Amino acid sequence: MPYTNQAAALIHSVKAVGERLIAANPVELAVGNVVRRVLHIVREEDLSLTTAAMAGLNLSAESDDEDDTDRDNHPALSAAAIAAASRSTLRPPSLQTLLEDVPDSAAVPHTSSSGGDSEGKSKSADKSSRSRKLKHDVIEAVNELIQDISTCHELIAEQAVEHIHQNEVILTLGSSRTVLEFLCAAKEKKRSFRVFVAEGAPRYQGHLLAKELVTRGLQTTLITDSAVFAMISRVNMVIVGAHAVMANGGVIAPVGLNMVALAAQKHAVPFVVLAGSHKLCPLYPHHPEVLLNELRSPSELLDFGEFSDCLDFGSGIGAPLLHVVNPTFDYVPPKLVSLFITDTGGHNPSYMYRLIADYYSADDLVLERRTTSGN
Amino acid sequence: MWWRSASFILDRQQEQNTSYPPNPESLLLSSPPPSMADSLQNPKPDISAYYQTRAAHHAVVTSDWLSQAQAAVSLQTNDDVSSGSDGRVAPTGGGTGGDNKTFSVIDEFNSWRKQPDLAEAVAAIRALAAVIRASQATTMMELEIELKKASDSLKAWDATSISLTAGCDLFMRYVTRTSALEYEDFNSARYRLIERAEKFGEISYKARRIIAMLSQDFIFDGCTILVHGFSRVVLEVLKTAAENKKHFRVFCTEGRPDRTGLRLSNELAKLDVPVKLLIDSAVAYTMDEVDMVLVGADGVVESGGIINMMGTYQIALVSHSMNKPVYVAAESYKFARLYPLDQKDMGPALRTIDFGVPIPSKVEVEKSARDYTPPQYLTLLFTDLGVLTPSVVSDELIQLYL
Repeated sequence: MPYTNQAAALIHSVKAVGERLIAANPVELAVGNVVRRVLHIVREEDLSLTTAAMAGLNLSAESDDEDDTDRDNHPALSAAAIAAASRSTLRPPSLQTLLEDVPDSAAVPHTSSSGGDSEGKSKSADKSSRSRKLKHDVIEAVNELIQDISTCHELIAEQAVEHIHQNEVILTLGSSRTVLEFLCAAKEKKRSFRVFVAEGAPRYQGHLLAKELVTRGLQTTLITDSAVFAMISRVNMVIVGAHAVMANGGVIAPVGLNMVALAAQKHAVPFVVLAGSHKLCPLYPHHPEVLLNELRSPSELLDFGEFSDCLDFGSGIGAPLLHVVNPTFDYVPPKLVSLFITDTGGHNPSYMYRLIADYYSADDLVLERRTTSGN
Repeated sequence: MWWRSASFILDRQQEQNTSYPPNPESLLLSSPPPSMADSLQNPKPDISAYYQTRAAHHAVVTSDWLSQAQAAVSLQTNDDVSSGSDGRVAPTGGGTGGDNKTFSVIDEFNSWRKQPDLAEAVAAIRALAAVIRASQATTMMELEIELKKASDSLKAWDATSISLTAGCDLFMRYVTRTSALEYEDFNSARYRLIERAEKFGEISYKARRIIAMLSQDFIFDGCTILVHGFSRVVLEVLKTAAENKKHFRVFCTEGRPDRTGLRLSNELAKLDVPVKLLIDSAVAYTMDEVDMVLVGADGVVESGGIINMMGTYQIALVSHSMNKPVYVAAESYKFARLYPLDQKDMGPALRTIDFGVPIPSKVEVEKSARDYTPPQYLTLLFTDLGVLTPSVVSDELIQLYL
């Protein structure tokens, strides 16, 4: 397979699989995030290989006058300019590139491959080794990504000491592994603090968290979700986990956290969200209460035995009069969040766009493949 | 069960069409286009030419009338004008025929600016392209100096137009960076500059299309959008949504004294979008029915705030207090290196307001045409660089200028 198509072929196949994965469960945003991360990795590795090849072919590229018909590049552009232009195709559009005519990304590798052709057969072996190198690099980078995802808890927990101080009262809701490790890391550094755990109806995972914290030796208080507003005035900080972080800094979090965030804002209590970088999603929440939510079974709320006549469809009335709504997630708007702690450090909600630009490519936001190339 | 019911769709059959017929008196009330006899000096320095032009665009007229009127004006002033370019609607290359001494970048700019569909910054960049074409410089440095002079004179001629300033700065920035690329040949570099400047007009149209596409997801079925001012970008957004068969309705503020709401409601009625006209004071009254506010921008400043038609700040304040999102649709070349700290921090942009009755001379009138909306009242900006939060704007500007 020619070098020019290697990266494109990889991207194509990753997109094919990624599309199906995302379609299987659109609410699980982390799936889409990882697919886009992998695509970004492929593009980056391809680019770094191209620039390395470009540096090697710098002298020979300028003698390539005969292949002008394919390219719409201005023939006076030097190889350095082409490399700079190809770098800018990877970056999202910006004011700097607004007036520039970015050469077609297909034209950029043409230079390197035509440079390879003009050097004769000695380069053909080089080309196939380059294509193997691309795959090798991508696989390495993906392994690093896997490593990062599995160690994100430790990296976040390392920052616990800076945020939790002596004799503080922390509030959390439900159960999150990141929060658990965060609190335990602070405990290990000999900070003494207390934790209020809201039980997180209807799944009551707060009970499990409370039990865990007690076994690790932390003073814990268990409260109902409804009591959060009553207790918030005694709390120094709210620390919670997230299901996903959206591009505007909004958080998709377990149900009940919007209420906690509003209570925290009312009493000027910092609302801190812990999230690994794989949870950062480049999409904007258009209608998050509906589009990014999952409605779970009513059985978590009600006992079917007692309520069978209210919920019964065939009871002669037709439609049941009792509806049970059991959403899984809440959307917390960015203005209620004080700080995000990710594995790269603590950030403001308005800083999320920078992380997105680092981790994702603008071309990958929409993953549906088009049958015609070039969009 | 999560959404408010879109009952306005059912009510639509009973509602009367609320668009107003064009008022012939409005033609007399709107000021005539600025004369171009003295090109280097703005004939009415205390009236903002930018808002004058916008008012001329907004007057409830048909484009036929506009072209006839301009043809009539150009016939009258043909004797006074020294250079060849006139206020014709057809975009001829004007101004280059004849000697360079009488070539005036201001005239060139004015000829482009008259077109109702062309953005200010595009007109400025086209004028600068004409400068390059007419220039007799032989080195890049000389060309840059000439361009700088032309750009300064354009900016001085109308100091109130932010997109003009931003467009000129952007082009100057591009020129200085292009010369850093290794072009062996001055002529090919010059050719490239002219070509990119001409293409910029296409970029501007493309920018509107991109913004329209990005904002589609934010308009959901059954939503109510409040619009202030007549922005061509916002119109594009709403047109695209209507074409995608979304059900939504629009509240237009009247937009005194430019009557932008009337023009906009005309356009929307053609698209079969349910429109309701409000007087400017009725915004808070209807705000609870509104799902989002959508405005354009004359300029986007470094803090992420916007400068837009008078009344935008008011509407943003009301929406913020009622927790409604405020979306701004602006192209990226409107980003300007300004940082106003309050309303009076910008240069004054005045325009005449006609109250319909004579006002005693002792009574002062607030004639400012624009206001500044700070970034904390804005939710998102839709630009051709993507959907941005206000904090991203300064980042982009820093990347460009530093």
